[in-house]
Amino acid sequence: MEKAGWDGFEIGAMLRTFDGAIQNIATTLPEDRAYSQSSSFTASVADWRIEKPLFNKDYCIDCQFCWVFCPDMSIISRDKKMIGIDFDHCKGCGICVEVCPTNPKSLLMFPEQKDEESALVEWPKKVKKEKEDEVGEE
Amino acid sequence: MADTMELRDIEVWDGNMAAAQALRQVQVDVVAAYPITPSTPIVEGYATYKANGYVDGEFVMVESEHAAMSGCIGAAAAGGRVATATSSQGFALMVETLYSASGMRLPIILNVVNRAIGAPLNVNGDHSDMYMGRDSGWIQLDAYNPQHAYDLNFIAFKVAEDHDVRLPAMVHQDGFMTSHTAQGVHTLTDEAAYGFVGEFQPMNDMLDLDHPVTHGVQTEEDWHFEHKARQQHALMTAVIPKIEAAFAEFEKLSGRKYNLVETHQMEDAEMAVICMGTSVETAMEVVDELRAQGIKAGVVGIRVFRPWPLEQLAEVLKNVKAIGTLDRSSPHGTVGMLYNEIAGTLFNCDTKAVLNNYIYGLGGRDLTKAHVVGIFNDLKANVDAGKLTTPLQQYIGLRGPKLSFF
Amino acid sequence: MLEIRWHSRAGQGAVTGAKGLADVVSTTGKHVQAFAFYGSAKRGAAMTAYNRVDDKVIMNHEKFMAPDYVLVIDPALVYVADFTAFEKPDTVYIITTHLTTEELIASQPKLEGKKVHTVDCIKISQETIGKAIPNTPMLGALMKVSGMYEMDFFKENMIRVLKKLPQKIIDANMIAIQRAYDEVK
Repeated sequence: MEKAGWDGFEIGAMLRTFDGAIQNIATTLPEDRAYSQSSSFTASVADWRIEKPLFNKDYCIDCQFCWVFCPDMSIISRDKKMIGIDFDHCKGCGICVEVCPTNPKSLLMFPEQKDEESALVEWPKKVKKEKEDEVGEE
Repeated sequence: MADTMELRDIEVWDGNMAAAQALRQVQVDVVAAYPITPSTPIVEGYATYKANGYVDGEFVMVESEHAAMSGCIGAAAAGGRVATATSSQGFALMVETLYSASGMRLPIILNVVNRAIGAPLNVNGDHSDMYMGRDSGWIQLDAYNPQHAYDLNFIAFKVAEDHDVRLPAMVHQDGFMTSHTAQGVHTLTDEAAYGFVGEFQPMNDMLDLDHPVTHGVQTEEDWHFEHKARQQHALMTAVIPKIEAAFAEFEKLSGRKYNLVETHQMEDAEMAVICMGTSVETAMEVVDELRAQGIKAGVVGIRVFRPWPLEQLAEVLKNVKAIGTLDRSSPHGTVGMLYNEIAGTLFNCDTKAVLNNYIYGLGGRDLTKAHVVGIFNDLKANVDAGKLTTPLQQYIGLRGPKLSFF
Repeated sequence: MLEIRWHSRAGQGAVTGAKGLADVVSTTGKHVQAFAFYGSAKRGAAMTAYNRVDDKVIMNHEKFMAPDYVLVIDPALVYVADFTAFEKPDTVYIITTHLTTEELIASQPKLEGKKVHTVDCIKISQETIGKAIPNTPMLGALMKVSGMYEMDFFKENMIRVLKKLPQKIIDANMIAIQRAYDEVK
């Protein structure tokens, strides 16, 4: 965002989410909304990540935990179905992986440079129950 | 639609009633309030008018003055005409949020019924709370009697809500000496009063769902300075012309003339006192009596306290030879505020007036006409000597040994 | 400039009385001021209220006053309050008491040689309004002693001042005002 001089912005401690008027915002998908430069939606934090979450839909039960817990609204869900991750706004915090309840997890952290295809090939198998208990005791 | 109220041309109202009626007449949308003596009857009055159908609005009861101003900020950001009232310790508790209101450029009107700040606890009038607000970024207007408390509310709404201004404004009146003193108040009809201020024009309101905005954003080193500069620019350049225009329009409507700086017998005055609130009028009466004795005394009253009318004050004071600044607030470690401001105002001028300072009237202590005569006696001695003949800062109306500093 | 000082106890209606008087006087085109010292503001505490009346705008906001009239609406205050403070040689006193004027002066020597009038506003208000609210009867007595206004004019305006009260109370106040006007000595 351009750093304007003291006379180069609107008054008040106020920022506009959109340039100009907008209608039916609740029924417009985020990627279709004309967010303004002052909206954090237009800023990418992709380069903040060391690790990234990858998604394996074979194990996903669409519980929406990851969508609920993501602090940056970077879980893309449509009609209550998890469809992927918004890598422009994901900081790689790993909370989605932490809260994923499936066995094995449907979201796992990988190095930033890891390609999705090989990650899916290497995805861990279901862990036995006693292992689960051990995890539960941590 | 609210009922109109038939008022007599002159109503005998105290300052609180006058302010409450003004809030009704401009049809304030939201009052969030935590009542405190001596300002209580203002918000109580608004609540009564609302309950009886004389105003369409909301009265929000909150748990503190901090919450009261926070509620006002929320309502103003949402896009309503908003006002409240407070005094003293309540004002002190509001201070944090006052800076938010001005920084967010929200045109809230705060009626401050000036009262001492404890300890010791005291409900009576002095200017401690008014002085506390002077760096908060608000416009500050000062009433000397109930008529002014009524009129200045209309001025405050009109100026504050102007889209070139969008700054909150305080209307000050002296606790008890104005707020609880009934005098004749020339009224405006409901229609004329509302017409003068006009319908509220929202700006960047949160309830405009087609234009979503975020209010109260965070800035750090990268933006804060520019925001504060912009705020100061509006306060310094936009407000004075708008106040002058509002004063002129109000004079056309009511016949009552207000000035940024009020003067009395200043044309040929060789000495002047400068003060605020009810003291201005008491001093005017003293000056009339001194004039009858051939003494060239004058009075300067601060009407617009913030923004400070520096140029106008320098102009009215350019020919006087002695000036007494009267501060009704304990200066706590320095000279009084008016001494400082006037010294700063005159420093780069050719004026060579002798300047001194009086601390008076704390906690509601009476300022008598005899006190004011005594001050002019000091000033006359300073005029004749061409230098200070008294200590720089003197306490007047105080029991015990004479107290002075510098 | 006419200046009046009221001595009262908080709750007896001196402020209402002073403001009511100011309201009535204002209708005649005069300028008025009505204010009070509240002190501790507890019901029963001694307090003072003030009126100023003038033909020109009243600029003076000092609380100091050398009164033309002193109105004492509580009978005990002549013994405990400094009700003669800053009196002038011709200050007129109207004092609520069950005593005759002579008995009152005998009991309070400060009143000797002064212009003293007495009226029992407490008894009048108890018998008419039903409680000890001696403010409006005192105004009736003031009208008689000062000759300020005709009784009809005064009562007509007081009805307007009291208009928010129930009709029964307004009527009782009018009787109280008239009785004090008739009974003040």
